[in-house]
Amino acid sequence: MKYMILTFGSQQHYQELAGLPTSEQPWTHDDWAALADFMGKFNQELLDSGELVETRGLSAPVHTRRVQLQQGAPVITDGPYAEAEEVLAGYWVIECENFDRATEIASRLASCPGPEHVRARAYADVRPIDERQPDFEG
Amino acid sequence: MTATEIEDLLRRLTPQVLGAVVRHYGNFDLAEDATQEALVDALVQWPRDGMPDNPRGWLVAVASRRLTDLLRSEQARRRREETVAGWALTEPAASAADDPGAAAEADDTLVLLFMCCHPSLSAASQIALTLRAVGGLSTAEIARALLGSEHTVTRRITRAKQSVRDSGVPFALPAANALAARLESVLRVLYLIFNEGYASTSGTSLVRVDLAEEAIRLARILRDALPDDSEVSGLLALMLLVHARHRARTANDGSLIPMADQDRNLWDRRLIDEGVTLISAALPRGPTGPYQLQAAISALHDEAESADATDWRQIAALYGVLRGLDDSPIVALNHAVAVSMAAGPQAGLVLLKRLEADSRVNADRRFHAVRGHLLEMAGDRPAALEAYRAASQVATNLQQQRYLSQQIARLSSWGSEDTD
Repeated sequence: MKYMILTFGSQQHYQELAGLPTSEQPWTHDDWAALADFMGKFNQELLDSGELVETRGLSAPVHTRRVQLQQGAPVITDGPYAEAEEVLAGYWVIECENFDRATEIASRLASCPGPEHVRARAYADVRPIDERQPDFEG
Repeated sequence: MTATEIEDLLRRLTPQVLGAVVRHYGNFDLAEDATQEALVDALVQWPRDGMPDNPRGWLVAVASRRLTDLLRSEQARRRREETVAGWALTEPAASAADDPGAAAEADDTLVLLFMCCHPSLSAASQIALTLRAVGGLSTAEIARALLGSEHTVTRRITRAKQSVRDSGVPFALPAANALAARLESVLRVLYLIFNEGYASTSGTSLVRVDLAEEAIRLARILRDALPDDSEVSGLLALMLLVHARHRARTANDGSLIPMADQDRNLWDRRLIDEGVTLISAALPRGPTGPYQLQAAISALHDEAESADATDWRQIAALYGVLRGLDDSPIVALNHAVAVSMAAGPQAGLVLLKRLEADSRVNADRRFHAVRGHLLEMAGDRPAALEAYRAASQVATNLQQQRYLSQQIARLSSWGSEDTD
């Protein structure tokens, strides 16, 4: 079975990550070093166990373009999200035994290092990927 | 032989075996399946029964048998479906297991490369097919390396094999008048694979099969087949000279370190020596193409004792020649930087001014970042700050954005110190 693990962040959180001068609590060099180390090991373990299908990080929400129908015609909006609105930031697609195993993998993200205020608000979702399983064997 | 040694040997032999089977039987797509099956047989049988005397001949013979089986079942299937055209089961001209000697082995690999990089295929298909057929990577490995799903890669390879078959490309070297253009396409594919190895998204850089090293391996195969072509040597030299710096490019926090700030002790001397030897031998042979020029530029960087000791005049001159061959705005940007380092920032800013109207690059992060750098060199801090801010606004990669944030913070604090 395949599952997706999703993580979330707002434009504000991205600014802190990027150390933009406007952010009040920018990530330090050490914060980043700890994150890079943790993510490297996390991904390598999933790769070694053969459970990793794919993982990607998304660019800051400000780079979003939204396409929406208005009076029957598609209209494009740049940067539709509010500063503090949390949106998809990155994901892993994993293939593993069952939902519990997928949850166990996602739970490891709880030990991901980061500034305390980030750890306090962070969460990850695990969702089964909609795949049709064969109804009958043989 | 250990299991790893057997795997290495099999990977080296894959393109030769596939090439030999296609040369004898045609049918590239089925030949590829047959070769894969022979490799699996070898992986099972060799460790158990011992190595055959002639591993390559063994593989070619097994793959040929498998191919005959596949062709028969394909024929049967087609008869069942009452299709008009069946496969013509051609008898091989000679026993495929005959060892045709080193020259023919190299030729088979070369023809295979030309086939995988056929211009009728999209770049994505060329890359996937080359990694599979010549590189001997599994679809899972290719998918992981290209950050795609295995399903997509499988489909892409299947389609590519079909279009090779449908286009009726003969399994032979292209005619002399088409050879140069076709070789250019092979070089481009290998260069794309190499660059793909460097283009990683955040968090995933550690999980990729090392595509840069795979590209270097493929470039070595190509050079073994065409040792006298100066651009082939130039491409291999370029890869070695760039890859030599890879350990110094990233800090432990994932941030990118510009060349001027890199710890040159981390540069790989062995790769640099090999690259410099290659490019030094290739350049006088001519004709001088873009890969040799870029390799020569890289060699000048790699051989400099320090950033300050870099021969910028020479680098600027080489970029000037490269611009004549390559219209890319990124080459123009690099040229402007080199000219600034050699002749002062004003000269570089004049060159940048000409790019302001170039829609391919005037909204690009790199354009604004280079402008910021040159303006700072020229002492115009407010304008430099503006340029870095413009770059930061369009940067979509977190590490690149972090670098720009540092420049902005540095220039902002200088500004406030000045007003104190």
